[in-house]
Amino acid sequence: MERTERLLDLVALLLDAKEPLTWKQIRAAFPDDYAQGSVEATERKFERDKAELLELGIPIKYTQAAEDVDDGYTLDKDAYYLPKLQLGPDEMAVLYAAGSAALASGAFPGSSDLAHALRKIGFFAGPKPPAPKVRLELGGVAETKDLPARLDALWSAISDRKFIEIDYFSPRQKEVTHRRVDPYGLALRRGLWSLVGYCHLRKGVRTFHVHRVRELTVNTKNPKTPDYQVPKDFALDDYVASFPWQHRFHPRVDVELQLKGHLAALAEKSFPGSPTSGDGKVTVAATDLEGLLRFVLSLGADARVLGPPEAVKRHREMAEAISRLHQGSS
Amino acid sequence: MPAQDVHGRLRRLLFLVPYVAQNPGLPVDEVAKALGVSRDALLEELDLLAMVGRPPFQPDDFVDIYVEDDKVFVDLDQRFSAPPRLTAAEGVALAAAAELLRPAATDALTQALEKLEKVLPDGARERYRQMAKQLDLALEAPQGLAALSQAIVEHREVELDYFTSGRNQTEKRRVQPHELFSHRGQWYLSGHCLSRGDVRLFRLDRIGALELTEQRFEAPVNPKAHAMPSERHGAEQVRVRFNAAAAPYVAERFGSEVQWLEGGTLEVKVLGDSERWLTQWVLSFGEMPGCTSPSGPGGRYRKQQTPSKPLEGLHRAPLNS
Repeated sequence: MERTERLLDLVALLLDAKEPLTWKQIRAAFPDDYAQGSVEATERKFERDKAELLELGIPIKYTQAAEDVDDGYTLDKDAYYLPKLQLGPDEMAVLYAAGSAALASGAFPGSSDLAHALRKIGFFAGPKPPAPKVRLELGGVAETKDLPARLDALWSAISDRKFIEIDYFSPRQKEVTHRRVDPYGLALRRGLWSLVGYCHLRKGVRTFHVHRVRELTVNTKNPKTPDYQVPKDFALDDYVASFPWQHRFHPRVDVELQLKGHLAALAEKSFPGSPTSGDGKVTVAATDLEGLLRFVLSLGADARVLGPPEAVKRHREMAEAISRLHQGSS
Repeated sequence: MPAQDVHGRLRRLLFLVPYVAQNPGLPVDEVAKALGVSRDALLEELDLLAMVGRPPFQPDDFVDIYVEDDKVFVDLDQRFSAPPRLTAAEGVALAAAAELLRPAATDALTQALEKLEKVLPDGARERYRQMAKQLDLALEAPQGLAALSQAIVEHREVELDYFTSGRNQTEKRRVQPHELFSHRGQWYLSGHCLSRGDVRLFRLDRIGALELTEQRFEAPVNPKAHAMPSERHGAEQVRVRFNAAAAPYVAERFGSEVQWLEGGTLEVKVLGDSERWLTQWVLSFGEMPGCTSPSGPGGRYRKQQTPSKPLEGLHRAPLNS
């Protein structure tokens, strides 16, 4: 009997049972599958099937013998069936809009999990819940043909806690390095996906851009046994930069900026989360000064660096270098 | 079908039976679409289901699902009256996707996620919380998405303050919002601008004050397609050359659009309709780029688009500081 068919039969059998089914009864129900060969081999086969069902969220339990029932397996029906979610129309709309937009983007890790989740929440909701039209473009790079498969592979490695091996391209060094990584998580910032994990080459937690991963293999040995633990206090946000000045390249420097003209009113929008005073002064905590200064340069002449002195100096050097670069080009 | 797909197949089939029970008589194609499989794949699944049942497989023990007049029916089957609950991974994927609209509907979203967590199986909740920490999409959506998605659903006109970089000023606009989308890391609203009498694109980060009016509008059946920000007609193109240090970063964003030149430098063509934007963009590479140069008709960009003027201003600023 095909495995899918056997597993479905097993679910049907357990859903119908009024009392725990003993191993003997289960063997008798599947004579070709669980009653042929050695006892150990068939028990292992049943255990594998049971594990597969548990992973699908099917709550199979083993219960000890009591006064008038034998020991055996039960399927907790209350825990099995999806109850009504009682989602209001606005709640449904936001889940649906976000979920379908993420799916349609083609670059979302765990896309089949997401598709199933959407089907399930829509199960009681009738044909089409109202949702705003939202389209997302995730991935943010030109070459996206490998991205969906990469993200799905990474997501399953993260779920199963299996190490990966990657060929990673660094545009700074312009070279490809081969690394073994324990993937801790995925984060999306400004349309780009980042992978954070323990890098065995650099012996520390590192952040990788998923689109710079050239080759990717997931460890296939012992698929059900995790290869590593994620540290308890791990938080993705500690490692992923949302803004160019947040890459963790050096200890934190508090840089004081003065925004003038129409920029002054945009201070909070330009540097979200940074303390601003009403007159266009912003203090930005930078762990990538170069990144911050490039961004400040891009704001134009109405953005000035007030301190600390090394930031002012570097800003001036960069501006002078740019000016030299562009001399004669007009 | 490959053996490793047992998981996916099982998951689909455990949904299929209740789905058909809930929506009896749906056309085959529609059921296939709802399940995200092809028509042929669905018919194959139905064949398999015809063999599924409860041992010892008396006639009444089988799942009775069948196609009649190209429609799918199932004899009410109590065992499969509802699909299984969400798995931890399904819950996390949905919650993470919902984060994309986080500022959009703070209350609705928070409540929806609470309800979602409640219907996870007991064993999955712990795993859900753990995995939720491993997929982070925070801060992706800008402010304003909230009100705008509401306006789109309710077909309400909005009034907004819009900063136009070309004119370097903020203007009041009245807009019938159609669609929100993100492109190259930037969020846009597409809608019919009543102030301009045409379909326009608005960058969300340039929208200041925003107000939903009580004025409803008839949503267009086929809203006029807006041009993508990178392919607007009529605008002249500007060639930007990047040196070898910047080239790899530019290449990954532009892909096959780049033209590689000697010594690892490259050139890309970008829209030259906003001097301000172009200057900002070039400057955001710091010392890395080479220079911009004009292409296409009209040499007027030679003077304007090479960032001589803005750069002079910029040059002054830090020197004075």
